[in-house]
Amino acid sequence: MTDVLSALAMVLVPVNILGLIGGVLVGIAFGCMPGLSVNMGLALLFPLAFTFKGIGGILMLLGIYCGAIYGGSISAILLKTPGTPASVATTLDGYPMATKMHQPGRALGLSTMASTFGGVFSTICLILLAPQLAKIALQFSKPEYFALAIFGLSIITSVSSGSVVKGIMGGLFGLFLATVGIDDMSGAVRFTLDTTYFIGGVSFIPVLIGVFAFAQVLASVEDYYHKDRLETKMSIDRVLPSLVDLKRVFTTLLRSSFIGTFIGCVPGTGGDIASFVSYDQAKRWSKHRDNFGNGEPEGICASEAGNNAVSGGAFIPVLTLGIPGDGATAIMMGALMVQGLQPGPLLFVEKAPDVYAIFIGLLLANLVMGLMGFSLIRFFVKVVSVPMHILLPIIMMMTFVGTYSYNNSVNDVYLMVFSGFCGYFLNKLGFSMSAVIIGIILGGMAEQNFVGSLIMSDGAFSVFYTRPLCLFFLAAAALSLLSPLFGKLFKK
Amino acid sequence: MINMKKCNYVVGVLGIVIAGMIMQAAAAFPMEFTTNGPGPGFWPFALGGALFICAAILLGYTVINGTELASQEVKLTGPANKRVYQMMGIVVCFTILISLIGFYAAAIVTIPAVMYLVDYREKKGIALTTMGTVVFIYLVFGMLLKTQLPKPFFM
Repeated sequence: MTDVLSALAMVLVPVNILGLIGGVLVGIAFGCMPGLSVNMGLALLFPLAFTFKGIGGILMLLGIYCGAIYGGSISAILLKTPGTPASVATTLDGYPMATKMHQPGRALGLSTMASTFGGVFSTICLILLAPQLAKIALQFSKPEYFALAIFGLSIITSVSSGSVVKGIMGGLFGLFLATVGIDDMSGAVRFTLDTTYFIGGVSFIPVLIGVFAFAQVLASVEDYYHKDRLETKMSIDRVLPSLVDLKRVFTTLLRSSFIGTFIGCVPGTGGDIASFVSYDQAKRWSKHRDNFGNGEPEGICASEAGNNAVSGGAFIPVLTLGIPGDGATAIMMGALMVQGLQPGPLLFVEKAPDVYAIFIGLLLANLVMGLMGFSLIRFFVKVVSVPMHILLPIIMMMTFVGTYSYNNSVNDVYLMVFSGFCGYFLNKLGFSMSAVIIGIILGGMAEQNFVGSLIMSDGAFSVFYTRPLCLFFLAAAALSLLSPLFGKLFKK
Repeated sequence: MINMKKCNYVVGVLGIVIAGMIMQAAAAFPMEFTTNGPGPGFWPFALGGALFICAAILLGYTVINGTELASQEVKLTGPANKRVYQMMGIVVCFTILISLIGFYAAAIVTIPAVMYLVDYREKKGIALTTMGTVVFIYLVFGMLLKTQLPKPFFM
């Protein structure tokens, strides 16, 4: 109880609440603008998060994370252009309701209500499940942590949308980047190119901003070569959903929120999978299945409750095991680490108030998101139509300012630009930038626990397959790595 | 036309070269197993080895699926890409200008250049966006967050 009260005291500081509200606002704006992504918003405002004292910066990032997932539905409904991949399923019924049925306000109201419900539901699941899982994880020793890191790395196959081999190559390169600098175990200075800049390791934030935000700016320049403006000329009628609609979609909301939370818990999945599975199940169980695709309220709610419920679920493996499930949670995990909060079971023992503050923050972020959705929907509709020729230079400047302000270092800016250029070309060649980032984040954990395990066992590799939990995670990692192969065999 | 087959060959060969360089660099550190576990060269050497294997698999995969990959176009030379390369040029110039004339002056030059590049010609709009962005950065980062953005070399 003391921890919860301390957490409340940490969260309920005016600056922190303002940061959270600002984060949600920025997140929704990023989510609803096609071409800007959740990862880009998080990466761009990552350095700004550290100007807050204590947990404030994390709350701001939580706000962006929740807001951006929801924001994707606005452009999906109004423009048939999902702001995020997680909102693709929302277009199936949201756009027909907004255009054919001439009820854009009803569609946006339903999506706002479903997003809030899904987010709150999954946060409650996080609050109930995470401490229990952390208690189990407290039994872990170095071999289990090494196996966990390998399991975390194995999700690279899932986050790689193109070639799996290229995803693994990207992950390996990320792991190698994590070895640059002073080795924590031996003290050896490795691969620094004889510069003092790399002695502390490859700076994570410039690479993050480069590959996610700056590379996206370059990709947007290319995408908007032919189309530079997205028009929306819809007038919003009502925003709050009616009681009839609420009654009609309630079961769907519950089912989809459960599906989204469960899918969020599984590393390597994400909002896009959750929304499609939820949509599919809603259609299967609905009395109005023939109306799906023609503006069915259950279709909108299923997709939105499903993708927003991923937010709480995805934090379960991040906080309890230190495994990020996708690019966005990898960035969030990086933010926690930079703030001195090492995700894992010990976090629940050593920094319990911070953990509860994250829980409260996530809950608040979802509630604020709902309130903003209902009250500022007309404003966000205007944001959707901001022309790219104005957005591009602003975002570009923010990538530079954000990178520089973290360490006041021009070298960081050079690294960010270099990472951005590489990110642009690697994306073109089918590499996953999330894989590189996951490699960098889990690299230290994997190497330190690998060496530590071998010290424990006097150099015997049997330590990795004679401990049941360690063997379980390594087997799960092997299954995860080979899953694309199984998928192809099943298809055949 | 540049296709994925050609790109995969380049990526595969580059992957092998980078893997070789990593392994060579890692070999300069001790790799033996002692009471303190494996030496600091062991883990990066293993990563280099794994990268080498993956690059070889990619090459093998490309040889086997050459026809299918040859039909996948990789857009790197179209007019839209040329615009991206021009943008990269502007970014490089901006990065150099930051150290020479300071961040704010460099931004005042660069923002109009970027807007011009994406075919925007309205002088009023360019001026408003430039000033709005620079003033916003100055107020939020310079005044509120006390960030010392790069100054001109002569100051």
